[in-house]
Amino acid sequence: MLREITLGQYYPAESVLHSLDPRVKLFSTLVFIITLFSADNAVLFAIVLLSMIGIIRLSHVPFSFMVKGLKAIVVLLIIAGLFNLFLTPGKTLVSFWILSISDVGLKNAVLMTSRMILLIVGTSIMTLTTTPNQLTDGLEKSLGFMKKFNVPVHEISMMMSIALRFIPILIEETDKIMKAQMARGADFESGGLITKAKNMVPLLVPLFVSAFRRANDLSLAMEARCYNGGEGRTKMHPLKYNSLDQRAYICVALYIILFFAVKVIL
Amino acid sequence: MAIIRSKELVHEYIRRDEEGNVESIQLALDHVNLNVEPGQFISILGHNGSGKSTFAKHINALLTPSEGTIWVDEMNTSDDEYTFAVRQTAGMVFQNPDNQIIASVVEEDVAFGPENIGVPTEQIVERVDKSLKMVGMTKYKAHSPNKLSGGQKQRVAIAGVMAMEPKCIILDEPTAMLDPDGRADVLRAVHTLNREKGITVILITHYMEEVVDSDYVYVMEKGKVFMEGKPREIFKDVELLKEHSLDVPQVTLLAHELRKAGLDLPECVLTRKELVDALTQLGMKKAAAAQTTEKPAAEADVDKKNVLILDHVSYKYSPNTAYEVKALDDVNLSIKEGEFIGIIGHTGSGKSTLVQHLNGLEKATEGTIYYNGQDIYDKDFDIRDLRTQVGMVFQYPEHQLFETTVFKDVQYGPKNQGLDEKEQIKRAYEALGLVKLPEELYLASPFELSGGQKRRAAIAGVIAMKPAVLILDEPTAGLDPKGRDDILGLISDMHEKRKDTVILVSHSMEDVANYVDRIIVMDAGRPAFDGTPKEVFAHYKELEKMGLAAPQVTYVMNDLKEMGYDVDASATTVSEATESILKACK
Repeated sequence: MLREITLGQYYPAESVLHSLDPRVKLFSTLVFIITLFSADNAVLFAIVLLSMIGIIRLSHVPFSFMVKGLKAIVVLLIIAGLFNLFLTPGKTLVSFWILSISDVGLKNAVLMTSRMILLIVGTSIMTLTTTPNQLTDGLEKSLGFMKKFNVPVHEISMMMSIALRFIPILIEETDKIMKAQMARGADFESGGLITKAKNMVPLLVPLFVSAFRRANDLSLAMEARCYNGGEGRTKMHPLKYNSLDQRAYICVALYIILFFAVKVIL
Repeated sequence: MAIIRSKELVHEYIRRDEEGNVESIQLALDHVNLNVEPGQFISILGHNGSGKSTFAKHINALLTPSEGTIWVDEMNTSDDEYTFAVRQTAGMVFQNPDNQIIASVVEEDVAFGPENIGVPTEQIVERVDKSLKMVGMTKYKAHSPNKLSGGQKQRVAIAGVMAMEPKCIILDEPTAMLDPDGRADVLRAVHTLNREKGITVILITHYMEEVVDSDYVYVMEKGKVFMEGKPREIFKDVELLKEHSLDVPQVTLLAHELRKAGLDLPECVLTRKELVDALTQLGMKKAAAAQTTEKPAAEADVDKKNVLILDHVSYKYSPNTAYEVKALDDVNLSIKEGEFIGIIGHTGSGKSTLVQHLNGLEKATEGTIYYNGQDIYDKDFDIRDLRTQVGMVFQYPEHQLFETTVFKDVQYGPKNQGLDEKEQIKRAYEALGLVKLPEELYLASPFELSGGQKRRAAIAGVIAMKPAVLILDEPTAGLDPKGRDDILGLISDMHEKRKDTVILVSHSMEDVANYVDRIIVMDAGRPAFDGTPKEVFAHYKELEKMGLAAPQVTYVMNDLKEMGYDVDASATTVSEATESILKACK
């Protein structure tokens, strides 16, 4: 039953976006978020929206995949939208019963929800076109400067990639233990919240024990293969910029110039 | 010049309490002296807890000696300066295939070692390709390790060590968790490395058949080397090996029994060919006429009722997606009350999926199953009750232990059945008695028990529900020969006492042949053969094509039969074979 969960939303396809260096995508996503939140009029908003649509077309990922991410936050979106709509003071446009909609409220509600939607879709383009491993590599390399401030960047990214490797194994293990306890008459479905939580003990204890055992084995195996932290390590696939990445950076730069020029003019 | 040399090596595991005072000292290695020449293939045999793994970790400087010295390529491993050089010279492969693969892509995992020692990028790519080719895994370069079989994962792990270009490779029970196919693949890869690349190999194992081809064997017990020599010298002393409950290859055992009975055979026989050749020298009786193997009369248990009936059962994983896999394909079976059945098949043959249907953990996509005449997919049918009637012991059942004491853990099943406390306690007590766990352990934490004890406790947890049908999925996986014999003997004893229906899932023909009355061979989601062990093993040639091997004696007997000797080709156990050969020699 747990087998069906697919983790990491990577969507394999051949596209310009898929072959870009993860650092380019991380940087562009950051630029996208900044511009999205500094777009405060219709023209600027249109620029953001249009460039996003262009990128979606480039990604070769079906649009339905991007919208999937929205399902999880649809309730949040509605609540936030409604609060903004009704509870913002300003010149009243419509009012009925005890509720009233102000001009500022309407503007805020529309702006806020569309920003949220664009934010989710925009960032999911990055996760859909980048494998989790590329992402950790990209993060390690782009955050490398933080080593100077004693942030263990290499260790964190190593932990992330090991987690990615072991998540499917632990999911499978959960499935197995669950079945084994069900064969002993365990019931994971019925009962109230507290009973349910209590019934999880026979599942969680073995799972933790197993996770520790695996961690122990793995650390031995890593040591046996001369692992000694990030110092002096080389890479089989080091991140290297190519001409495609350079062109992408130029596009992002042009986008920034265009956006802020318009912002200053208007 | 020796590549590995140990002198009076001692290692103690010291357990300390919270204040750091010494609680207990366990002597894991007791003055071990050992010498390995470059290019040799060395095996170290021994039970779990004999100290063989502790020794392996010394060669790789994962552990350092408490006393004595060990040199790897003339480097003293206790010297911190050499730690990484030692690990680079002597690479290590561990038992659990999953827990030693670090990266999510095969080639990246192989690159992990070279990356750590700072090999330049271009050379890493070269080394990775070369290593993957050595173990025959080039095709899977870009795959995720999660999609590989156990044997393939182990070969990736070997490639990962080879990419560091070591002089020596240590394998710590690399095949203990694999099926026969995977075992054969891994061993083949290791032998190739030894022969063609001149890599020194140290194979740690408890499977006797695996050491037959090695140059030198050390047998360890209680931290000491208690036997050493060429395989032939070791296997000469069958009685001594048996005394220490070490396994002997079936052929060697058969030869030994025949010699004891007075036949003039060479002192140590290691292979099937040697035995057959030696036997033909003796002038056995030839069969009078071309005798066809008569079919044993069908047993008269027609009156016994069917407990479980599978009616056209099919099962697909992830139906209607790209990942659809047909795990069961139109299976029809009936299982009678009181039968002792072995289900055999290689990994992926559908045997585990099949048994998970019997207690309703998986639901058939097509067809139905009847338990005592009732359709288990009927909406009025109580599926939770079925699970207590058809008890299921999973593979590595000790991984499901969770309670604070063994006794409470065993009580868990009866408690879920809704029995009152008095009955729960009674059931747990009975079950623990049946699995012969010493009483002083009842109140111990299950995590403090040894491997074999844990497994017994976990089996008790299922038996405590008093199921009418008991299913055990690979109950001997990962155990050493002694543990394996103990558990199989226990299951067989319990079957005698409880007269219940027992279904034993296994990939080892030799294990099963000695105990069960009926064997079902699964292949590609269907039962390929179904009958008594004798009937099934008569198809030994077809079984081999399915990646399953019949017991070694079956091969010997069939070889003799084909040469026209008057022996019973359907003998499946050593004692049957001995009897038949002796008769032919008179």
